[in-house]
Amino acid sequence: MSAQSKRELLLPLLFIAPAVAVLLALSIYPLIYSVTISLQQQGNTWGVGNFKRLLTDNFFWTAMAHTFVYAVAALTCEFVLGLGLALLLNAQIRGRGFFRASLLVPMMLPAVVVGVVWRLMLNPNFGAINGTLKRFGISTESLTWTASPKLAMLSVIAVDVWQWTPFVFLVLLAGLQAIPQEPYEAALIDGSSRWQTFRHVTLPLLKPSILIVLLLRTMDLLRVFDQIFILTEGGPGFATETISLYIYRTAFRFFDFGYAAAMSFVLLALTNVISVIYIRFLQAKEAT
Amino acid sequence: MRTTLLTLLLLLSVSCTNRPAQTKLTLAIVSGVEGEALKQAAHDYEIQTGTHIEIAEFPYTNLFEKELIDLKSQTGAHDLIMLDDPWFPRFAHEQVLTELTPLLQKRGQSGPDSDFVETSVALCRHPYQTGALYALPYVGNSQLFFYRKDLFEKYSLKEAVSWNGVLAAARTIHEKETAGATGAKVYGYVMRAAQGNAAVADFMPIFWAFGGEMFEANGKPTVNSPEGIAALQFMLELGKYSPPGYASFNADEVGAHLLQGTAAMSINWPAWISSFSDPKKSKVIGKMEFTTLPAEKKPGQAEIGNWLIAIPRYSKNAEAAIDFLLWATSAQQMKLSALRGNPPTRKSLFQDAELIAKNPAYPVQLRSLETSRPRPRTPYWNEIENAFGIFLSKANSGELSPTDAMNQANAEIEKILERAK
Repeated sequence: MSAQSKRELLLPLLFIAPAVAVLLALSIYPLIYSVTISLQQQGNTWGVGNFKRLLTDNFFWTAMAHTFVYAVAALTCEFVLGLGLALLLNAQIRGRGFFRASLLVPMMLPAVVVGVVWRLMLNPNFGAINGTLKRFGISTESLTWTASPKLAMLSVIAVDVWQWTPFVFLVLLAGLQAIPQEPYEAALIDGSSRWQTFRHVTLPLLKPSILIVLLLRTMDLLRVFDQIFILTEGGPGFATETISLYIYRTAFRFFDFGYAAAMSFVLLALTNVISVIYIRFLQAKEAT
Repeated sequence: MRTTLLTLLLLLSVSCTNRPAQTKLTLAIVSGVEGEALKQAAHDYEIQTGTHIEIAEFPYTNLFEKELIDLKSQTGAHDLIMLDDPWFPRFAHEQVLTELTPLLQKRGQSGPDSDFVETSVALCRHPYQTGALYALPYVGNSQLFFYRKDLFEKYSLKEAVSWNGVLAAARTIHEKETAGATGAKVYGYVMRAAQGNAAVADFMPIFWAFGGEMFEANGKPTVNSPEGIAALQFMLELGKYSPPGYASFNADEVGAHLLQGTAAMSINWPAWISSFSDPKKSKVIGKMEFTTLPAEKKPGQAEIGNWLIAIPRYSKNAEAAIDFLLWATSAQQMKLSALRGNPPTRKSLFQDAELIAKNPAYPVQLRSLETSRPRPRTPYWNEIENAFGIFLSKANSGELSPTDAMNQANAEIEKILERAK
């Protein structure tokens, strides 16, 4: 090999070396390390005990179920509302710019701030929501938003929907605006109704945006932590404990990093499976 | 002239190089009033002795993890740490703290002096009360019973010395102070029943007074004993006179209800006392009274909650650290800490006229502290408290009956202990 071709081979390697080093230090090493600690039980013995323990841990399965209920409910509401708003504000209506801008405000706020503000608003005794209902003569005795096992999950889902519907709206609006006019004109000439146009023109052409937003929101919802931690800390009892909260508690309150790592890998695997399904679906639709 | 200048420069450089290196200590503290007092003491110490003290300040929720990570990784990043007493068994069990007795002996002391409250010093020993000394107590918190003396006088109620007396008083106040379904109310009682520490802290004095014990002598959990179930049933009875949503209450919500005058009684910590005489915060100035915990089958006992100071085992400056620790916990310095808002751990300071004038509840606080009980001394307390608190909260939110809650809590605690074997 000539000196020049050697240099040509080495130079790119030299350029990517810093990025590889950073990746190794910040991603690969911690990943390998977390695999090793997930295989270490308390007392530093090796084995799959942490993964076996998952099977009999009621708290783990309950937290997992809560996570899926939370993710499915929030995602459905956010998608329906976000799509509705995007369709509405894609049309030529008065004050469109103002509505678009104000809709984005919740998304700009840090999740912790959203959690604190909603916690105050949902306070059954001093909160703005029950205070307003009282003004209309509605009894709020039973409306203990974050303290009732039935209402607490509903409350945390509502807060997520409030904050993240704007994101879904934003992505879908961008998707709608990227659709060319020609298919609509063709549909109009063919005598298509508004519903038929939406069903057979808008929806198929919006599919890539829909899948991207569903994928991003699903990943976010499965690892939700900050809002729920501030709003209910997983309570009352265990009613809103999601898997991220349980992993946090196991790692940093009980100091059982091995078990926390094992739970994290299960969550990672599930998120990956869901992501792959989404991506396959996206690729299949793009191919057709 | 040039020669003189050179000589002076040479002398100066020699004096600089011969000066011993300045000792530096790193102190991990909690954010808030407890840590603030120690931070100011550290500043004073630096001025007095020249020992530089670097402060690493963390919120309560992060302090435990920061400290345990440092201690277990043996970095020696901290020379002194503030720790909440329930964490102590874990730290001592992991053998990551320095035993203090040899360091005290070098300074002519056989142990902590007799002015310290015994229940506070007992927390600093491993095993509890009888073992080696690994810390010194700095902030002497223990729970108190808060009640509205104006309402008790208004309805001719006697000071509630038993839990059933508390329930009767709560019922009377609740019924008589109710002004319509959506109007203003004074609830008879307010408590924290959010899962975890909150529910457990407010339940333990009731549990103990009803004769409940968390563990048998052999370590087997017994929270589902008849006494334990009766105590939880009683907590739910009290809950009927508490504000809606108390099953998710933490300290802030309880404090808000008491300060706004919308609840008449509660278990609370001494740190809240000063708020009741602050016109910016309180609508009940001069109306709140503080006493020891009520009894039932057994004498009333408060849960103790002291802040301790310890020296990590891998500190590189243990000698300098113990000097600061002894100085900071001396009567003179602890009095300054008390003037900055921290209950002391020395008997003489609870009886100090100047401090009593500022904190009239000090005699009651001393009685409460001297008769207080610690949370069970197990290294797995965080996990046990979390599980126990979940089931207490489930019972208070109506999700489980008291019997089911206690049975499930007991089974979960058994699992935790089994895993720890």
